[in-house]
Amino acid sequence: MKYLDHLEEWFITFLMGAATLIIFVSVLHRYASGFAIPGVQDWLIRIDVSWAQELCIIMFVWMAKFGAAYGVRTGIHVGVDVLINHLSDRNRGKFIVFGLLAGATFTGIVGALGAHFVWENGAHYSIYKFLGLEMGDLYEGPITPDLEWPTWIVYSAIPLGSSLMCFRFLQVMANFLRTGSLPHHDHGHVDGIDEDEGLAVDANPYNMDDNLHPQDIAHHHRGDGESK
Amino acid sequence: MSAAIIFVLLACLMLTGMPVSISLGLTVLIFLFGFTEVPLESVALKLFTGIEKFEIMAIPFFILAGNFLTHGGVARRMIEFATSVVGHLRGGLGMSSVFACALFAAVSGSSPATVVAIGSIMLPAMVRAGYPKAFGVGVVASAGGLGILIPPSIVMVMYAVSTNSSIGALFMAGVIPGLLLALFLGFTTWFRAKQGDYPRERRRSWTERLGAFRKSVWGLLLIVVVMGGIYSGLFTPTEAAAMSAVYAFFIAVFVYKDLRMADVPKVLLNSANMSAMLLYIITNAVLFSFILTNEQIPQGIAQWLLDSGIGMVGFLIAVNVLLLVMGNFMEPSSIILITAPILFPIAMKLGIDPIHFGVMITVNMEIGMITPPVGLNLYVASGISKMGLTDTTKAVWPWLLSMLVFLVLITYVPQISIWLPRTLGMM
Repeated sequence: MKYLDHLEEWFITFLMGAATLIIFVSVLHRYASGFAIPGVQDWLIRIDVSWAQELCIIMFVWMAKFGAAYGVRTGIHVGVDVLINHLSDRNRGKFIVFGLLAGATFTGIVGALGAHFVWENGAHYSIYKFLGLEMGDLYEGPITPDLEWPTWIVYSAIPLGSSLMCFRFLQVMANFLRTGSLPHHDHGHVDGIDEDEGLAVDANPYNMDDNLHPQDIAHHHRGDGESK
Repeated sequence: MSAAIIFVLLACLMLTGMPVSISLGLTVLIFLFGFTEVPLESVALKLFTGIEKFEIMAIPFFILAGNFLTHGGVARRMIEFATSVVGHLRGGLGMSSVFACALFAAVSGSSPATVVAIGSIMLPAMVRAGYPKAFGVGVVASAGGLGILIPPSIVMVMYAVSTNSSIGALFMAGVIPGLLLALFLGFTTWFRAKQGDYPRERRRSWTERLGAFRKSVWGLLLIVVVMGGIYSGLFTPTEAAAMSAVYAFFIAVFVYKDLRMADVPKVLLNSANMSAMLLYIITNAVLFSFILTNEQIPQGIAQWLLDSGIGMVGFLIAVNVLLLVMGNFMEPSSIILITAPILFPIAMKLGIDPIHFGVMITVNMEIGMITPPVGLNLYVASGISKMGLTDTTKAVWPWLLSMLVFLVLITYVPQISIWLPRTLGMM
């Protein structure tokens, strides 16, 4: 489990950094190849980076799908929680479980639809071809315009990311049922402020009752008598 | 009929407190499955192709750039510069907070982050200098809203993406209203300070001002990279965002040295987390607007409104009220993604300029940030000041009032927004 967590974090960190670098390099390349430096210019022109944009989009789509799953674990997804935050702990708990189940259902369905779509659009063909099985009239599936990668590989972000997200919803729910606590995200967090200043920053990053997230049962909030 | 089903379904799902993205997606699934013949497979495809647009990718890049620079050090340098320029006026520290928020807004696309960065340094300073706490909280919470009006702005990219408007023109259009709002807030601050006879700082010499400017200029150059790059045509908006992210990385790590190399992966991860959340809402909002269009709901509402004889003036009032009310319950990105596909076609039919409309919506979102029960700025300000939410809400009212006046101005004087981009030939 720890292994999966780290892999997930590592993966989206990598995608974020790499996509930035790719666009940076492709822009530099565009302008650098405009300078008439003998030798270098020809060499630069020969390197084709027209695929950079497409690769960046693909990387960000993968980042979005896996990052959304990671976001369930960090509690970053925002909702309208004004109403349920006014309910009693017991009733709010029911709504929270309902919300998490709904999340799991939706991502589960999307994962299944996505898997079906990917299977029909090339995965079936490729895997059978790879295994040397009888292919019949299976559809080979389209390829992407610039990189010319089979789209089914690119699109498999949907079933993979969505299934992971479904799993995360169930994980958060199991944890909530056991301990009554939810992951919280602080939207006002600024690095370097809390640590250096140590002044009036009482903005506990795990205790922002901002009504965009459900309040869980385990924590106490401002207004519930004395804040700690 | 189907419009009613869709919206009631969406409202019910949202009120249970599940994430906005999930409620949008589930609404689409339930509607498609229960009420139409549209094949479900098309949904899976839309989930991928929904965000397959290069313009949308500006969002993660801007978030990354902001996260590199929203460090304590950058905010402190900007505050020093702001204080050296306006600190000698009545209510000096309050005025400096407004100015510092405006400067910080030019590197950060997020309001709550602006409130924390400026507020956690300025609030204690103001209390020490003898200002009432409520004054400080009011200033910081409201001026933090400048973060989404002064470019770069995530909210504006959201609007541009969901209405196919030009990101560059919108950013440029935000400049004058942003400065004007800073003036409005500054004036309110000055007025309150005069009433309460609050202290002022000593006047700084021009050498000191220049020194403070020199120190803060590296952060401010980010906005030059973005706006200059887009305007001159050197970069597309997304490329400009990526360049600004690389620039911000360079400044934070090598020039200001606020950030160690070892912290970079954490910044990347945090940015990816935030971006993924927004991209996930976009994905599902694309699905949602797909069924709206499929059922011809925007056209229906537009026709109904036009038939009812509502004019441009009436429509703009209605939009403002709708957005202000929604701003009380949801956060800006979700509101824009849900309402823009419906409101935009109507606005176009009534002959409203798309860029002007975008700026107006952004100002609405800003006001939503400082009105309860869901005003992120209020929560953050209340968090850093240890002041109760009710007191915080009361503390912002003078600035809230001036923002409402500003909203009326922006709504009915489109020239404020569209003069600059039009003069520069961007629209």
